[in-house]
Amino acid sequence: MNLPLRKERAVAVNRSPIKWREQFVAYLFLLPALAAFTVFAWWPILNSIVMSFQQVDLMDAGASTWVGFRNYERMFADPTFAASWRNSFEFAGLSILIGFFVPVLVAVLVNEMRAAKSFFRIVYFLPSVIPPLIGILVWQLIYSPQPGGLLNQVVIGLGGTRAGWLQDVSLVKPSILVIMTWGGFGATMLIYLAALQDLPIELYEAAEIDGAHPWDRIRFITLPYLRPTMLVLLIVQVLGIVQIFMEPLVLTEGGPGQSTMTPVFTLYRKGFLNGDYGLAAAWSVLLMIVLGALSLVYLRTTRTAQQ
Amino acid sequence: MDSSVRAILSDLEVRTPRGRLIYALITIALLLLAVVVVVPFIYAFTSGLKTSREVFSTTFQLFPAAANWDNYGQAWDYFNLPRLFVNTTFLVIGGLLVQLSVSMLAAYSLSKLKPIGGRFLLIGFLTTLMIPGIAYIIPLYVTAARLGLLGSYWGLWLSYGVNAFMIFILKNFFDGLPPEIFDSARVDGASALQIFAHIVLPLSRPILIVLSILTFVNLWKDFLWPYLVLLGNPELQPISVALFVVEQRSATPPNIQMAGYFMAMLPPLIIAIVMQRYMQRGLSLGAVKG
Repeated sequence: MNLPLRKERAVAVNRSPIKWREQFVAYLFLLPALAAFTVFAWWPILNSIVMSFQQVDLMDAGASTWVGFRNYERMFADPTFAASWRNSFEFAGLSILIGFFVPVLVAVLVNEMRAAKSFFRIVYFLPSVIPPLIGILVWQLIYSPQPGGLLNQVVIGLGGTRAGWLQDVSLVKPSILVIMTWGGFGATMLIYLAALQDLPIELYEAAEIDGAHPWDRIRFITLPYLRPTMLVLLIVQVLGIVQIFMEPLVLTEGGPGQSTMTPVFTLYRKGFLNGDYGLAAAWSVLLMIVLGALSLVYLRTTRTAQQ
Repeated sequence: MDSSVRAILSDLEVRTPRGRLIYALITIALLLLAVVVVVPFIYAFTSGLKTSREVFSTTFQLFPAAANWDNYGQAWDYFNLPRLFVNTTFLVIGGLLVQLSVSMLAAYSLSKLKPIGGRFLLIGFLTTLMIPGIAYIIPLYVTAARLGLLGSYWGLWLSYGVNAFMIFILKNFFDGLPPEIFDSARVDGASALQIFAHIVLPLSRPILIVLSILTFVNLWKDFLWPYLVLLGNPELQPISVALFVVEQRSATPPNIQMAGYFMAMLPPLIIAIVMQRYMQRGLSLGAVKG
């Protein structure tokens, strides 16, 4: 320890005065990122707060007028407000039932395979790589209530009756979640598979020697091992659910009734269809608070998951 | 990945009659799921081959009596797919170049040039990961409008310079490079830019390939922001935006729609299949973040 100490001190003495030329160069390299983040992230985030207290003129910041808390009052008084957030909760709850366990189960099963693992990985992953919008357009025709709709053809072929998958209040949310699960479970499954690869096989072998039945191995080894990852991905899923937008935009326009109105879709309509940017900014601020809080929870869980 | 490695069931158990049965059931279940997953693709493909009478048939019939390849030609012209592919490629490649260069320069500076307040800046970049872009899309749109960036690719290209995740991954990568290389280059009198061009760039090739493929697919998938920026300029719209706009405006026969959608899905599908190893490595970068 003695010898390097001298060296370190020498270095420290050398570096203590700020070398302005080096700093200039360092910041020159940072400049593009600083400019991009300022214009396209930091400023808009701050400006959403400013705008939420204004009646906003799109082109001329100077022509915007201050309106105090009126945008927030209007937001809370709007019946769509309660409906949108209630829908988010319902979507989140349902998605835990419909979508959350699919990738866990599939990952465990794929990991059991002695061959063709990579075949399943790539096939399940395919829906994740196409633009979600195009996937939704295809699903629109699968769900179609018209004679050509694939799902109704199958249901009728099996002896059932025609259903309005996107027109029936009780079916529309599960139908949308099926699309989202189709589009996302393959990528999520890969994360679980990576976690399963890290599970030491010795644990299974030891359990076997102790006479543990395969079910017990799942219950006492596999699932506890995956639990931290599941917790993290649960929050990721909720984060995604709060941002549901394209499905209402393309498939339902928030209907039937208001059953697929979501915060982002409402924000989009207030801002871009009505040109009411101040009101939309109030929605933005609330959304940022909710999503930011969820991200904090996410950070917390990842940190504990890593320990 | 080694496929022969055991998991919950040992190799011995799999060979017992009971084990064989379970293994067969798992295989069948996974194959059935695989079929369900690809049905939308197959349905799009075969519907695109049907006559306009067949697509409205009430009975289930996956394949048409005869393949009408003609529909694909019609859809190609109807949606103007060649232009849409060119637009999307142009938009995505430009966005990719901006994103990579901005992130590389920033990450290199944060990792090796020791800017004062670098830690603070890194935190500033990373906080943008906590707020998904869709939450501030309204003020972003207002900013772009006031800067005159609507209706052109620049509004998109420049905004794609924001990717804190990429800065973070690259900075970690640079942190892991042996410091001796940089020290000796500096002793030899190389400038920061020379070190960047002649040492950092060549060394980062593997990670740049992974990040490029990941970003390419992600930018190809982007919808809302290109939709808003290019709303007033249909000539420039990329493929998801244009298909949505056409779907909203006109009643297109379903067989032509499906033929068009299937062709639109092909490029990302092909890239994913050809580049699957890179794609999956890219996703595991995401898992590291998580």
